[in-house]
Amino acid sequence: MELLVTEGLTKRFGGLVAVNEVNLRIKENEALGIIGPNGSGKTTLFNLLSGFFAPTKGRVVFRGKDVTRLSPEERVKMGMVRTFQLVSVFNSLKVWESLVPCIVWNSDIYHSLWKFMTTAVEEVRDNSIEALKLVGLKDYADSMTAELSYGDKRLLEIAFALAFQPKLLLLDEPFSGLSDVEIGKVLALLRSLKGKTTIGIIEHKISMIVDFVDRLCVMNEGRIICEGKPQEVLADPLVNECYWGKEEVVEEAPSSSAL
Amino acid sequence: MRKESRYMRDVLKKQETMLGVSVTARKSFVEAMGGQRVLELVLIAVVFLVLVPFLGAHRVTDFAIFCIFALSFDLLYGYMGRLSFGHLLYLGVGAYTVGLSLRYVTTNPLLAIVLGVVAASLAGMAVGAVTVRVSGAAFALSNLAFNRVGWFLVMSPLKEITGGENGLSIRNLSFWLVNFRNPNFRFWFVLVALLGVFLFLRVLTASPYGVLLRSIKEDERRVRFLGYNTYFYKWITFVVAASIAGFAGALTALNYGYVNPNTLDVHANAGVVFACLIGGSGRLYGALLGGILYMLITNLLPIYFQRWEFVLGVALLLIVFRFRGGIWGGLEALRKSIVLRYNASSSKKGVSQ
Repeated sequence: MELLVTEGLTKRFGGLVAVNEVNLRIKENEALGIIGPNGSGKTTLFNLLSGFFAPTKGRVVFRGKDVTRLSPEERVKMGMVRTFQLVSVFNSLKVWESLVPCIVWNSDIYHSLWKFMTTAVEEVRDNSIEALKLVGLKDYADSMTAELSYGDKRLLEIAFALAFQPKLLLLDEPFSGLSDVEIGKVLALLRSLKGKTTIGIIEHKISMIVDFVDRLCVMNEGRIICEGKPQEVLADPLVNECYWGKEEVVEEAPSSSAL
Repeated sequence: MRKESRYMRDVLKKQETMLGVSVTARKSFVEAMGGQRVLELVLIAVVFLVLVPFLGAHRVTDFAIFCIFALSFDLLYGYMGRLSFGHLLYLGVGAYTVGLSLRYVTTNPLLAIVLGVVAASLAGMAVGAVTVRVSGAAFALSNLAFNRVGWFLVMSPLKEITGGENGLSIRNLSFWLVNFRNPNFRFWFVLVALLGVFLFLRVLTASPYGVLLRSIKEDERRVRFLGYNTYFYKWITFVVAASIAGFAGALTALNYGYVNPNTLDVHANAGVVFACLIGGSGRLYGALLGGILYMLITNLLPIYFQRWEFVLGVALLLIVFRFRGGIWGGLEALRKSIVLRYNASSSKKGVSQ
């Protein structure tokens, strides 16, 4: 069953067509990777899906409902949660505190304004630490978020998203700026979620996600140029062309070595 | 609606199975008032009581009212990060409502206070609905504009009932056991009011809502992607801050027995900004300390020093460039560094043993 469908999704910025007639389908509980060179429109596509921008044309249908005109918070309410390319956490809060809005969101505290405003925040501390345990940040619960390393902030941001029990988790370049060890941590976490929730993941480094995703979409110049099983997609000549340039370059190589 | 609730149940059920997280917060407002809170309130009361022999009850009452106003401003500025140059409007609305209602509506000052708070919160609802849509300079200046409108209304079209420049003297200051003619009664009444406001804000800022406000201060866009309608929470905060400011205005009117158009004067907004900065914004104690210090400076310094504004200016420069957290923030940082040093030295000892 399809969880998310886009129909002819288009976004123009003046003369630039950032996303061009994209028809994307994400099935329930699958892991979909979106790859493509810089400026191919991957992040803009995510911004359209999550409600950061309104599209110039086209529709976004999530869980059978047209959400094209809904605000980001309403889409979160329906179970679509995203992370950002540049880690976006709250540096002025303690690590466990910064998770509180996400934790209480699913509880009855959030639904009664009086409770939301008068319950002591320490009441949900245990829940917050539980959620931090899941991403391996339990020991940093009382540190300031600003003191975390970049990789740990990334894990914290994923913890934000997981606290919502999302139907669809959109991750925008979750490995950018991370060390190999940190990438391993994030990847292990994502593997543990696979099959339990639907994951859409943008990544620049194909090698990172090729073993992880069920399906791969390749974007170039605002269009999806190829989609399918990861290995098939990577063997596609069109994909090789947009990543490595045209065939001629390859042909020239032996002649130059012969010299 | 039904579908939605089923979805929420589904979410909660899944939450328990997948994360092992379930939220069971049951403590209410009353239970949250632990022993520490009582101690805090006693300490604050002691500080104000200590000031009385030096300054006189009337002046300290004035200080406490200003502190209530500074606390309300700090909720908006310190916690939510929205600087308003028009917060005095609500002080004025509270004060004028008390003055007018004691003249035309009721003889009970307590009821007049309630009316004052209600009027200020209604004004806050209307103005906030427009101004919280923007932030930064636009927020500060649009509030300033509304404050100006209020001033204009009092001085010109409504002159007949507000008394214009001459202000409004208040009748019916006493009612049964409530006697606002007695300076001691006024002092105790205002002190209890201050403690009540402090406790209320203490509970509010230590709740998930308080955390949300601080998150909005740092990155509002991110909070929207956490599923919160930030507009609504900003508006609620604006209304709460306006209501408390209206309460301070009502007390001002009763304290002087007179409502002066200066309660609405836009230029006086700088004072409360200064008080929050000097004490430390985003900290309730900072607002209290700043409120007291600002009142001390403006009340006492002119006696000894003709160009006393100079001191205010220098202090402000020092804070902006050297102590961003204000005096309370500075004290917190000092305490933190002492604790760190103590921990380091004690762990060293542990190693040597």
